[in-house]
Amino acid sequence: MIELQDIRKVFNTGRPNEFVALHGVSLSIDAAKVTVFKGPSGSGKTTLLSLVGCMARPTSGRIRLFDREITSLPERFLTEIRRKTFGFIFQHFNLIKGVTALENVMVPAYPDGENHASLKERALNLLGLFNLSHKAHSKVEWLSGGEAQRVTIARALVNNPSVVIADEPTAHLDTKLSKEFMEIMRRLNDEGKTVLIASHDPIIHESDIVHRVIEMRDGKIVTSGIAS
Amino acid sequence: MIFHPAIIALLLGSILISFMLLYSAFYGMQILKGWNIKSGSELQLSLERRTYLISTVMNYAIGFQLLSLFLFIYTADYLHTLFVGAMCAAGTLNVNHWGYPAIMMKVINFLLAGLWLILNYTDNRAYDYPLIKKKYGLLLFITPFIVGETFLQSAYFLSLKPAIITSCCGTLFSSETQGVTSGIIALPRPPIEAGFYSFMALTFVLGVVFYWNGKGGYLFSLTSIATFLVSVIALISFICLYFYELPTHHCPFCILQKEYRYVGYLIYITLLGGAVSGLGVGMIMPFKKINSLLNVIPSLQRKLTGLVLISYAIFLGTVFLQMIFSNLKL
Repeated sequence: MIELQDIRKVFNTGRPNEFVALHGVSLSIDAAKVTVFKGPSGSGKTTLLSLVGCMARPTSGRIRLFDREITSLPERFLTEIRRKTFGFIFQHFNLIKGVTALENVMVPAYPDGENHASLKERALNLLGLFNLSHKAHSKVEWLSGGEAQRVTIARALVNNPSVVIADEPTAHLDTKLSKEFMEIMRRLNDEGKTVLIASHDPIIHESDIVHRVIEMRDGKIVTSGIAS
Repeated sequence: MIFHPAIIALLLGSILISFMLLYSAFYGMQILKGWNIKSGSELQLSLERRTYLISTVMNYAIGFQLLSLFLFIYTADYLHTLFVGAMCAAGTLNVNHWGYPAIMMKVINFLLAGLWLILNYTDNRAYDYPLIKKKYGLLLFITPFIVGETFLQSAYFLSLKPAIITSCCGTLFSSETQGVTSGIIALPRPPIEAGFYSFMALTFVLGVVFYWNGKGGYLFSLTSIATFLVSVIALISFICLYFYELPTHHCPFCILQKEYRYVGYLIYITLLGGAVSGLGVGMIMPFKKINSLLNVIPSLQRKLTGLVLISYAIFLGTVFLQMIFSNLKL
């Protein structure tokens, strides 16, 4: 369970370009469900997910993650939570160019100092799961959009997180690949993972695997309901 | 004022630290007044973010504060050639009224700064800032001392004039002058010697017991600071005689010179390190039962205890070696 209490996020506070990205958002997100945040650009979806994923801190308000308050945590504790609890899938993939797909998948696990051989085996298994075994040793800039997306998903899963966060994951994918992506999310959800997706792509929020769609506009929640 | 790189570094460093402390003290007051971990208010969240920054900045500032004591001593020793009559730092510090108060303040601040670093380290190990108010309370307490030190040190360096006639350490640290040190020198050696060895032995016994069983922490802490004081007295009273191989030379500064292989630095670093670590053991004792520190404090106390024992063992080893190989037999 993820609980947000009266979350406000202001960028450039006190400056002429001050921008309020979230206006007192309160929300409860169920564990082991697929929740989609939809809304136009600038509605606050990405900001909200970055706060939930401990990548930024709110200006005010508190977030509880599985009964633990996380907004007050010092950075060294947040790093641990970020690494162990969340897997991130970014809109622009954010893969490290110049290194192989396999290395990209392994990178998030390096700080834990895990045995290299066992980590490599795990990363190869993940790539295999997404039919990318043959691309494991290819540099990421040689991959197609769909392949790069799947490498990103494998990377998000390497630390076996309980929550997967995806920000506009289908923005650079065609319809077929977008549907494939949702099938992968279904598999992850079936394994008990909580999936949070920010997207304004109808393929995502109209998908039958989605349990809840939260619509946002101007930093506020407009509607929040169970998916049809 | 004499323009010397070390003097300029010390003056600029202390002014910078004072400003950093005053800045931190300002936020310290806000934290003492407005901190409420249960609140999600903008003020609370901004204080949480800022304390992280202040704590990091103060770590470096206070780290320099610790080093500055030794730079100050080194500078005072280095400058003695400029003053008629001075043979070491003792004479340099005596050229005006500010020298000895400045070094005393620096020693006090060394201990306070060390304690703050230990408290800050402990607080940073927990997820819920359990010692935040105590940490900033201590910082507010330390601030006037550091600012006072900046004033004394600046007054000392700014009043330094070359070719002043001063007293040498042989005169300053003799039983014929008036003051605390002459009282120490005049004391009979056997009780001081007995006190020194007894306190050292007691510290080691209590330290080992606390290290293994975790019992008697307060007593160990008190004993380790008492051992520090007794050791300083013993150093002036009889230990330094073995280094100088002269039965009448009691100066605690000459041992910092090249002639004595700079052994004074080792002696003072180990003694001060032991004292700070020992005090630290007692200081964090009351917080042992705080939930988020349950696993942090016992392990930190063991490390600090180990530091006390190692520091004092090095000090004792250095003293024993000198006693054995010295040409002076008392």
